[in-house]
Amino acid sequence: MTNPVPPFIIFILGAMLVPILRGRLRQIFLLLLPVIGLIDIINLPAGTSWVYDFLGYELIFARVDKLSLVVGYIFVIIGFLGIIYSLHVEEAGQHVAALMYVGSSLGVVFAGDYFTLFIFWEIMAAASVFLVWYRKEKEALDAGFRYVLMHLFGGALLLAGIIMHTAWTGSIAIRTPLHELPFWLIMFGFGLNTAFIPLHTWLPDAYPQGTITGSVFMCVYTTKTGVYVLARCFPNIDFVAYMGGAMAVYGVVFALAQNDARRLLSYHIMSQVGYMVAGVGVGGALGVDGGIAHVVNHILYKGLLFMCMGSVIYMTGKRKLTEMGGLARYMPVTCIACIIASLSISGGPGFNGFVSKGMVIASASADHKPILELMLTLASVGTFLSFVKLCYFAFFAKNEEITAKEAPLNMQVAMVATAFLCVFLGVYPQPLLELLPYPVPVDYHTFTPGHILATIQIFLLSGLVFMVARNYFAPHKGIVLDVDLFYRMGGRIILWFCEKPLNALRSGVQSFLTNEVEGTAVLSRNPYRAGRLIKSYFRGDPKDKYEAVRNEPYNVNSYRIPIGVSAGVATIFLFLLTLIYFAVGG
Amino acid sequence: MEANLKKLFLVLVVACIPFGLFIGHDHVHYFWHQIPSFEAIFGFLGAIVLLGAALLLGAIARKKEDFYD
Repeated sequence: MTNPVPPFIIFILGAMLVPILRGRLRQIFLLLLPVIGLIDIINLPAGTSWVYDFLGYELIFARVDKLSLVVGYIFVIIGFLGIIYSLHVEEAGQHVAALMYVGSSLGVVFAGDYFTLFIFWEIMAAASVFLVWYRKEKEALDAGFRYVLMHLFGGALLLAGIIMHTAWTGSIAIRTPLHELPFWLIMFGFGLNTAFIPLHTWLPDAYPQGTITGSVFMCVYTTKTGVYVLARCFPNIDFVAYMGGAMAVYGVVFALAQNDARRLLSYHIMSQVGYMVAGVGVGGALGVDGGIAHVVNHILYKGLLFMCMGSVIYMTGKRKLTEMGGLARYMPVTCIACIIASLSISGGPGFNGFVSKGMVIASASADHKPILELMLTLASVGTFLSFVKLCYFAFFAKNEEITAKEAPLNMQVAMVATAFLCVFLGVYPQPLLELLPYPVPVDYHTFTPGHILATIQIFLLSGLVFMVARNYFAPHKGIVLDVDLFYRMGGRIILWFCEKPLNALRSGVQSFLTNEVEGTAVLSRNPYRAGRLIKSYFRGDPKDKYEAVRNEPYNVNSYRIPIGVSAGVATIFLFLLTLIYFAVGG
Repeated sequence: MEANLKKLFLVLVVACIPFGLFIGHDHVHYFWHQIPSFEAIFGFLGAIVLLGAALLLGAIARKKEDFYD
């Protein structure tokens, strides 16, 4: 057996081989990759390996401890399930993007220094956006651009923080930044990926626009790597804890108002990631363990929910709850899987969410954060309500117009397998609890009569409200604005400012100067015409030729190419300069 | 069938509340952990508050699909 490699290598090299394979061979290859990845991770030696020296800093590609292992395992497992779900996809590019995305996320998880982390962080953003763009509709392309812009902004915050941290401490090892400014920059750089309010808007914007299979991958990796790095660098910080609580409540309120099924799920990602962030922020063994256990459980049930809604959209072509209904009869497997996932996300006893959500809430109250405890409990009331709403209006509400068939076999297999894992870890959480980074405190027990009764009472009484006020919960047509209104309007104002006032100034200066140069040219050819020229100024002759320049509408493309060319030339120049530097200086 | 399910559900709702008198909270940190069946009250009121919040949000911020176009 060869030595284990950092797991990202398997997926990124594998991604490059996908386009040259065809048909059944490609499917087998795709399924084999995560299996190899899992074996590889199991065999990785504990501690740091694959360390390289780079300009006097240490790059660490494999930092293996309990925290990175548990996240690495679940990433590979859901990668396998996601690949089964997307096995029918013919387009090689989608598989390549998904594998690059999985690989770069694993790169972040096992990175031992900030440089390596940053590189994989950016690859992750770049790879994942293709899962949105592959839907190829205009709204998906636009949402993808907004997504990648937000992530580049987050990456810029992170890079600025890393540079300051490195300059001031002289080390690039991943640890909590010591100085004030890099501390906040790095936290918000990470926080953008975990959907900190108000930087969360990319999530409900882009996730519903992804391809059916792409969304399954997207809902897993970006936010969870964010939680993972927060757990590494920012545990036990009150700001993080309360941000988590705020996200949990904010997410459910917005989810309750949604109509697009996948957008509803996206707001629930935000809400559930809120639990994880809260757990990490509370810190301590129970808090961080609860947060990380919730990462694992959430990946399973949220992946399953996106699979279920993906199957519904794939088979019916309907994306809005107002257009669905009565699908339980036609898609029983999807329906049952969706109910299992809903019970898991709501934290029903016997389903996996129950285990980790209980840990996070208990950690908040044990750490003397009563408000946080109530926020998280309120969010779990809202979670149950929205999933009763989702299941009811998608599968049970009366709709005579709809007919559908059950999803393809590979999708069903993926759903059943994921649903099995949700129930398995809900009934027998021991394997998960043993993998967690810290030993779970001995005085914390998962299945106590108190916990179970509390959950059942929340379910029944909030269910009662749903039953009585069902019509008020009914989905409505239209979209609900979020704070991205300000970003989008702000963007439009900047664009307007560039297009109108700034462009008018530019063309004014240009036409004035052209005019003067032309006048000077005429004058220098025949100085005797000076008198006539001066006279034409005072008469105010129309200068049609120059007016045309002034009135030409702004066209982005006529300015994009020269900028692109200059950027290209500058890059080549820098490259040559670097070569000379290394050749001469080295 | 549907009416029976509803009745069963209502019976369960009513039945779950007295259990709170016998089964207490595991870790008592704040006063509400001592209230019997606190989660039932919280679930009921919380659901109403969240419904109100979502309706309010819908009333303020719901626009047509092509709002941004």
